[in-house]
Amino acid sequence: IPDSGHKYYLQFSTEDYRTGENAGSCLATVLYPKKKSPPVVSIKCSHTKDQKEIQEEDNRLYQRIRQQTKPVAGNNIPDSYGNIEPALEPVWALAVAGSSSILWEKSTENLGYFLAQVKSVQQWIRKDDFIEFDYTVLLHEIPTQEIISCHMRLTWLPQHPLRVKYFCSENPGMEDGSGAESGSAAGASAEKGAIF
Amino acid sequence: HQVLRVVPKSDEELQKVQELQDLEHLKLDFWLAPRGLGYPVDIHVPFPSLQPVKAHLEASGVSYSIMIEDVQALVDEEQTEMLRSSRQLPLSTNTFNYEAYHTLNEIYSFMDMLVAENPNLVSKLEIGRSTENRPLYVLKFSTGGTNRPAIWIDTGIHSREWVTQASGVWFAKKIVQDHANNEGVASILETMDIFLEIVTNPDGFAYTQTTNRMWRKTRSRHSGSICVGVDPNRNWDAGFGEAGASSNPCTETYHGPYANSEPEVKSIVEFVKGHGNIKAFVSIHSYSQLLLYPYGYTETPVPDQKELHEISTKAVAALSSLYGTNYKYGSIITTIYRASGGTIDWTYNQGIKYSFTFELRDTGRYGFLLPAKQIVPTAEETWLGLKVIMEHARDNMY
Repeated sequence: IPDSGHKYYLQFSTEDYRTGENAGSCLATVLYPKKKSPPVVSIKCSHTKDQKEIQEEDNRLYQRIRQQTKPVAGNNIPDSYGNIEPALEPVWALAVAGSSSILWEKSTENLGYFLAQVKSVQQWIRKDDFIEFDYTVLLHEIPTQEIISCHMRLTWLPQHPLRVKYFCSENPGMEDGSGAESGSAAGASAEKGAIF
Repeated sequence: HQVLRVVPKSDEELQKVQELQDLEHLKLDFWLAPRGLGYPVDIHVPFPSLQPVKAHLEASGVSYSIMIEDVQALVDEEQTEMLRSSRQLPLSTNTFNYEAYHTLNEIYSFMDMLVAENPNLVSKLEIGRSTENRPLYVLKFSTGGTNRPAIWIDTGIHSREWVTQASGVWFAKKIVQDHANNEGVASILETMDIFLEIVTNPDGFAYTQTTNRMWRKTRSRHSGSICVGVDPNRNWDAGFGEAGASSNPCTETYHGPYANSEPEVKSIVEFVKGHGNIKAFVSIHSYSQLLLYPYGYTETPVPDQKELHEISTKAVAALSSLYGTNYKYGSIITTIYRASGGTIDWTYNQGIKYSFTFELRDTGRYGFLLPAKQIVPTAEETWLGLKVIMEHARDNMY
């Protein structure tokens, strides 16, 4: 749109991340203003699940995590071979949901992201009913192909929105074990230490 | 040494067998001692005693059967088996596990087994050495002729794209099977050769196994930088260094100090030029589920755009027909993004009209970490797409 920016018209379908089942479709317009600022989005979606169903699933997920006898912790989810331990699946699901807000905030008209891997997760037990996790997630950035490491703190209670705080380190080439230090998250540094 | 079995059916027969037990000089070893009528007696007979024992039994009309013709052979086999299973190495390409990811050494040994099992069809060529001096192996599938028109397939140029090397291994076995059963690509092999480089970036691959699963580039060090590695899919001499690659050595799309600086790339360039008769070139990546043709470095469409697009339509239809996997297709620059110094842009400009790149499963859910159980379905469906390209090349010689 001359002197205004680029407007995109989107029609897409959605699917349940775990089961692959159709979860509805959406119509959206996204306007990227000429001056770099967050895009203007208008979106309308149809849902295959009703509120009640969604709430029930949320509660099930919540209970699965609360039922654990010790704080959940893990590394490399999925592992190098694409495996996810069944016990860590709920925690991975939360990471997917939480990191989607990072993906959304970081994306631009020319830069997109995928969640490549959950490098580590550590649960923090709280006195209240909220569940809280500390994650190191790896994002795959397109088209640069870079792997970005982000530290993500996530808190949640069913019927409340996910609260996500994050810090991503952008240091191209820091995976190469050159020994130079960076502000990247613990997971990446530990790996570097192992090389030399 | 042999093991003989006697089942005594009368008291006389039983007595004859028991007599053997007393003849110590025969050095017989009863694996199953005589018990009574109708019960089998198994006798381990050393070679020097075979003749006398058999003569003794035959003279008395006692029937026997040879249970084990050669005890040593069985012992040897078991020994090999035990060694192999303790190191978990398959005995042949028939017992190789195609549904798992393998180490570099396992893939190298797979190649050797495949060649050993099919010496008249498969040979292994070393086209160069990597930065860390690993061999760059290409499997050649040929039924004869001299410098026949050929198809080239490479997998694993970006080391973290594990489903591609795994698929390459499956493709190798598939070609051999088709040929043996006279189906599939057997007809293509009548007039064309197939070259398959399974681990195109072995240094990177080793690195993904030992240190960093997400490593993409080569492992070269170029002066002036502490960072390691060049993107082997930005290092080719097609729009080299232009927009669509990075000049920063610390980035994932670093094009390198000059075109073909990477031995992994240079060796293929030299091979292709030296061969001179390659008609189709397919470079395989993951992930995104795309089938791409040139160009990536410019928006100018290739002269053969229409034909390449038609082939892509057919290839994707064939691929999707198996499991319903959705692929998009088109030129690199219109379908994913601008990328310069890319493999198939160079091969196309060399005159290899049928130059394609696949981006295999998935679309981001697992990304590079595709679960092993998806290896075979991915290879199977991709193969159908590859066949469309190969058959088109065969039927449209130029």
